[in-house]
Amino acid sequence: MTKLPITRLLAGCVLLTSLAAQGADGIPAYHDPLLELTIDTEGSNYQFERSSLEALKVHDPIEGFNRRVYRFNGQFDDYVYLPVVNTYQMVTPRFVRTGVSNVFANLADVPNLANSLAQGKFQKGARTTARLLFNSTLGVLGLFDVAKAMGLPQEPEDFGQTLGYYGVPTGPYLVLPLLGPSTLRDTTGKAVDWSIEDTAAFLDNRHYMNDNPWAYGLYAINLRYINGFRYGSLDSPFEYDQIRYLYIKLRELQIRQ
Amino acid sequence: MNRYLRYLCISLAALASHVAQADETPYPITNPFLATIVGTPPQLVAPVPAETDVRQTDLSVTVLPERHLPPALSRYRDLHYRLAWHNEPAPLVFLIAGTGSGYSSPRLDYLKRVFWQAGMHVIVLSSPTNHDFIAAASRSGLPGLGLSDARDLHSAMSLAAEHARKRKKLQITEYRLAGFSLGALNAAFVAHLDQSLQQFDFTRTLLLNPPVDLYASIQRLDALARTQLDGVSSGESFYEHIFEKLARYFAESGGTDIESGLFHGIQSSDSALTDAELAMLIGAVFRFAAADLNFMADLITEGGRYAPADETLKVSTSLTPYLRRALFCDFSCYLETQLWPVWTDANQGKTIDDMAWDTSLYSITSFLRDNPHIAALTNADDFILSADNYRFIAETFGERALIYPHGGHGGNLQHRDVVATMLQFMEGDSHD
Repeated sequence: MTKLPITRLLAGCVLLTSLAAQGADGIPAYHDPLLELTIDTEGSNYQFERSSLEALKVHDPIEGFNRRVYRFNGQFDDYVYLPVVNTYQMVTPRFVRTGVSNVFANLADVPNLANSLAQGKFQKGARTTARLLFNSTLGVLGLFDVAKAMGLPQEPEDFGQTLGYYGVPTGPYLVLPLLGPSTLRDTTGKAVDWSIEDTAAFLDNRHYMNDNPWAYGLYAINLRYINGFRYGSLDSPFEYDQIRYLYIKLRELQIRQ
Repeated sequence: MNRYLRYLCISLAALASHVAQADETPYPITNPFLATIVGTPPQLVAPVPAETDVRQTDLSVTVLPERHLPPALSRYRDLHYRLAWHNEPAPLVFLIAGTGSGYSSPRLDYLKRVFWQAGMHVIVLSSPTNHDFIAAASRSGLPGLGLSDARDLHSAMSLAAEHARKRKKLQITEYRLAGFSLGALNAAFVAHLDQSLQQFDFTRTLLLNPPVDLYASIQRLDALARTQLDGVSSGESFYEHIFEKLARYFAESGGTDIESGLFHGIQSSDSALTDAELAMLIGAVFRFAAADLNFMADLITEGGRYAPADETLKVSTSLTPYLRRALFCDFSCYLETQLWPVWTDANQGKTIDDMAWDTSLYSITSFLRDNPHIAALTNADDFILSADNYRFIAETFGERALIYPHGGHGGNLQHRDVVATMLQFMEGDSHD
């Protein structure tokens, strides 16, 4: 009988206190967040400039070629890849697409497992790290969920990581046709992963796929479907430069996991 | 006595909820920098349909046929915009992005879904300061002036609405307008301009976290990138410092589920980012936006400050050296080196304060105060506002000033209460 009014009384009084914090005219009191920071005067500290210049130092000896491939990938996306993926999304129910993704993900688990073993670890928080990294840098202000945009949830253990784990340096930065950002080390790793998948012939899949060439088409569509990255999503004429740095940092963090 | 106290509390509670739209679970993050980065915790986000369930597409229109762009930037010859539409007649909302954001940024995608779900068509446009808009739709190539940006936007909106009507058989019953951050200031100026042109006759204009005095806000943003950091030596890179913290946190925690508590874990660990680091991160993002702006404006006006004016930028040309140079010029530097010289030529005898006034909401005070169909939504701890700016919003918009105590710069825009308030205004339940 008395319980309800008391709860309401308490609720009302909680609101009363919050009202008190709003100042006399009912408007929340202004709070200047900048007052709590120490701001350097202009030209006295080049923290931002120094750090950013440092981030632009990436070994990219064939940059001209890479930039052309980067553009090609973007246009291939616009005119071929994404329209196909969109059609795929329109004509298939979600559970079918999820199923397809799972099938290929399972096949890819073979090199995943091999690489996890090679590095002596099973539990990895790589994609979590990557998500946090991207959300905390590029994702600042919620301008874009870059982690999602880069398709990070799908980042498995690969041979490039294994090489990195054993101290092989990244080598020059590379942009691969259709596959996107990579390095010499990671490209080598990718080739090895594919051959592991081939050799293991898990569930006899290669034999099946060779008999049914459409399966490779589905493989390619699924590859793009699960990767949320869109060219132009960084909203900058300097997207190439930013992706280059972030790719290198992301791989570094994955390897350290 | 007890009873009277109870009535007092309840009536005050009603008053409080009227003033601040209070709810049992108000926006919980009281640190404005953290709020700005983290946004709204998932359990408090107003639900919207998934992107794939929205009837939408990206389209483009040619706004400036005479504009020539080098091959490296040919992607931006046409102005791209995002359209979400219904097959039935509906109001059309134009949504304008904030500084350094394009039509495809996730924040706007969320707002787009809020309005689309409420039965409106939505056209999302890039900020006039974004590189794509500068290239495709800015006549002067020098954004940052209230009126000329409004003219560029108004033209782009007319073209886009007409284009969408033709391409998707859009049936438009009326026009509405909303913008975030600088886009909100743009929206105010577009609404003001349209009052003279009488083309759209916007029935609602919603300003989300607007600056009041743009140039004052710019200085505050520039300051963030000069925040002093403890524990970062003068030779160390700030980004590396942040990465180290993240890596250390994950090494210690073994990785956690980010989706359910992004930043929550790290912020309650030894590796928590300090306020100074959070502020610096925000400042750095804005500095990159400033670099884009400096570079693009200079390129369009052939100033030769960053890329040499006589060099054709090919697809294979490295833009890295130009980014290196542009990184040194913040928003205030853009005003001084690019905007002011051109403005002063056309406005002899006027000062830089006059230029600032013309691009502030102060210059259209009576329009904002007397128009019942314009509302502003902001937070008491939005760091782009000075105390005077904040008071101006409260006083000018009166009961159409929708003010929350916490949220920083737009951190609370997905909160259930805030979304409900936005929709209440945009749908016109309480302001007709």
